[in-house]
Amino acid sequence: MFRFAQTAPMSPPARRPRRLLLVTTATAASLVLAGCGAGGGGGDVDPEDANGWSQEFAGTELNVLAEATLNSEILAELAPEFTRMTGIEVAIETAPFAQLVQSVTLDFSTSQGDFDVVSIPYDYLGAYAGSDYLEEITPLIEANADKVGPEFNQEDILPGLWDTAAVWNGKYYGMPSNSAVTMMIYRADLFENETEKAAFAAQYGYELAPATTWQQYSDIAEFFTRDAGEQLAGETLTEPVYGVTIAGKRHEAAVFEWINYANSFGGGVVSPEGELVVDSEGSVESLEYMNSLGEFAPPGYTSATWDEVTAQLQQGIAAQAISWGDTAGAMENPDQSAVVGKMGYGDVPVSAEGDDPHALHGAWTYTISKEATDVNAAYLFVAWALSAPVQKAIGEKGGVPATRSAFEDADLIATLPSWPQQLTSLENALARPRNAEWPQMLEQLALQVSNALVGESTPEAALGKAQGDITGILGDKLPLKAF
Amino acid sequence: MNTSATAERPPQVSAPRRRPRGLDSRQRWTRIGMQAPSLVILLVVLAFPLVYSLSLSFQSYSPVDPEANGQWIGLGNYARMFQDTQFGQAILVTIAYVVLAVALETVIGTAIGVWLSRLMRTRRLVTSFLLLPMIATPLVVGLMFSFGLNAQFGYMTDALQALGLVGEAGVLDSPAGAFAALVAMDVWEWTPFIALMVLAGLSAAPQAQIQAAQIDGCNTAQLYWHVMLPMIRPVIGVAILFRATEAIRQFDQVYILTGGGPGSATTVNDIFQYRVSFTAFDMSYGAALGIATFLVVAVLAWILFRFLGRKGAQ
Repeated sequence: MFRFAQTAPMSPPARRPRRLLLVTTATAASLVLAGCGAGGGGGDVDPEDANGWSQEFAGTELNVLAEATLNSEILAELAPEFTRMTGIEVAIETAPFAQLVQSVTLDFSTSQGDFDVVSIPYDYLGAYAGSDYLEEITPLIEANADKVGPEFNQEDILPGLWDTAAVWNGKYYGMPSNSAVTMMIYRADLFENETEKAAFAAQYGYELAPATTWQQYSDIAEFFTRDAGEQLAGETLTEPVYGVTIAGKRHEAAVFEWINYANSFGGGVVSPEGELVVDSEGSVESLEYMNSLGEFAPPGYTSATWDEVTAQLQQGIAAQAISWGDTAGAMENPDQSAVVGKMGYGDVPVSAEGDDPHALHGAWTYTISKEATDVNAAYLFVAWALSAPVQKAIGEKGGVPATRSAFEDADLIATLPSWPQQLTSLENALARPRNAEWPQMLEQLALQVSNALVGESTPEAALGKAQGDITGILGDKLPLKAF
Repeated sequence: MNTSATAERPPQVSAPRRRPRGLDSRQRWTRIGMQAPSLVILLVVLAFPLVYSLSLSFQSYSPVDPEANGQWIGLGNYARMFQDTQFGQAILVTIAYVVLAVALETVIGTAIGVWLSRLMRTRRLVTSFLLLPMIATPLVVGLMFSFGLNAQFGYMTDALQALGLVGEAGVLDSPAGAFAALVAMDVWEWTPFIALMVLAGLSAAPQAQIQAAQIDGCNTAQLYWHVMLPMIRPVIGVAILFRATEAIRQFDQVYILTGGGPGSATTVNDIFQYRVSFTAFDMSYGAALGIATFLVVAVLAWILFRFLGRKGAQ
């Protein structure tokens, strides 16, 4: 089986043991500095509010850029608390994916230093870390071990997620800012309906249950595809229902969906040795499989992205999908969803019984710019964003945290049915490539996956073309040394 | 003033009288000073990017690839352009899109313009309605069509299905359907522009020739076909030029409606260039594509202006 990125387990950077003496010294120093700061134009900060966080950087102003997501909104809401404790002022700017990447690239490449902390999609790690735009985080962790509050515990960050999000060429360049991960989302109420179970068993010869293999996934997709007027779970349908929904537009959504299939068909993009395997047997087989699901997907799936997939699940017109775990909140939101309490969440299926399931990471990463006003103050912000209370608040408000304690929090598990599966998926997920050329590779894959889905070319021909074009892009960099 | 002294001098016929040098210089500097703000703006927004892009197009530069750090590669990017089948496909799609959309807009717009010219009481009202599509921003038009053509819930899809023109998967599911949707969107938005230009041209047409043709026994169709439309041909030519240069730069609506897909069916030149420059961050190749596009549009405009100039002279 090919993996999509080097996610060899690495030991997270060691954190110095906290020493009482150091804390006391730091607190005393911060008190002195805070006092000096008050008179010298620094931030207005009360030492009693520190809560264990250093106030040494009071008065520093940080600009943070993050994707326009719920996580970022929640962080912006909570940021005044960070300012109260540390005296560091934070301005959080958000932007959609494409604009964020363009703004960040412009800022980094021109050394403008407009942003101190940037949350980047992890597949740009090679582009930014490889171009020496990012601060390595390990030295900052060590240098500021006595300046972070006791609520931050780096051991709590999910190790696989952290490796995917931040390790480039053996070094850590940030910390995960969210934990998006794929999973199987399905209509649990339909799977539990006795009439449907009996009909399924009669038709396919085995019991209806959430799919664990792609064959079952396909059977279930076929079984639940019904026309208007037919019966579903004892009710007459007024609209058709589809067994599956797919993101098939010429868009990264289609590529990421295909990677979920390819992961378990033994295909993918890059082999562990760094060779391109886009046109390998497993890759072709997985795209053929994805194509075959189109028969049971809502019409027009070739112009659908994640938005349409989420909407179709929410409206109850699709029985299952491979999608992002952070859409689970939308499924359970009564203002938006017709399927509240009806959804189930499972592992991404596998090719054959007994194979290990693999989800796909969709994480983002807090990185610190080399041009940051104060890299230590920036690190304090990142540490605070990953501290236990902030992570729990992110979970409570519908975002996706990156720490184990948040996913194992009893209060959160009680209210978020997808929570245990998100943790399981995060622990078995693989990464997509993160080399500097990945954006160009992604473009070629998006084009050819789309060509295959609309029948412009066969999956074999499409992936063969993608392999050729990507080989041209990578040139003598093959086999890839870091990805 | 001593007039008798000057009268005795021989008349200076050939040499023009020279104005005092100081005044000339002052006037020149005043003129330059008055024009300076607009000249500086033009330099900043037009000349600088053009020169910078030209320079970039001879380099290999990507802000996310440390190995592409601006080294000089001569005509490498231009050579790559000629071997790039995806760029070739984008050019073909763009040509097909511009020719089809502008041709349809011209034919329908001219017909509507003629019809408007014959309206008496309701012309203002109808003209106001015709302006509505043009007022909408391209992004909004793209979103309108995106919702309308949604395969499950789109009202346009429902209408087309009721007419038996599309199947269950809707318009955007097939390469031909998606391309047709783009053309239809442009025609919907910009046909009124041609219609209004034609109407303006017809309103300003000289009445003498029209009356002469009427006296000679031309019926209405002959009057429009043989007299009035030829008279406003330059106006139609300018309208086509405007529309063609706009359509060549089509981006927003394609980005919203199809993203260039399915496959590369709707990947017009600007979408292709956007992807090269701002998704793949291959800035120097993107710059070469931009320069090539600029040259093509400039040549097209020059040909059209020469054509119009000849027609005007005739």
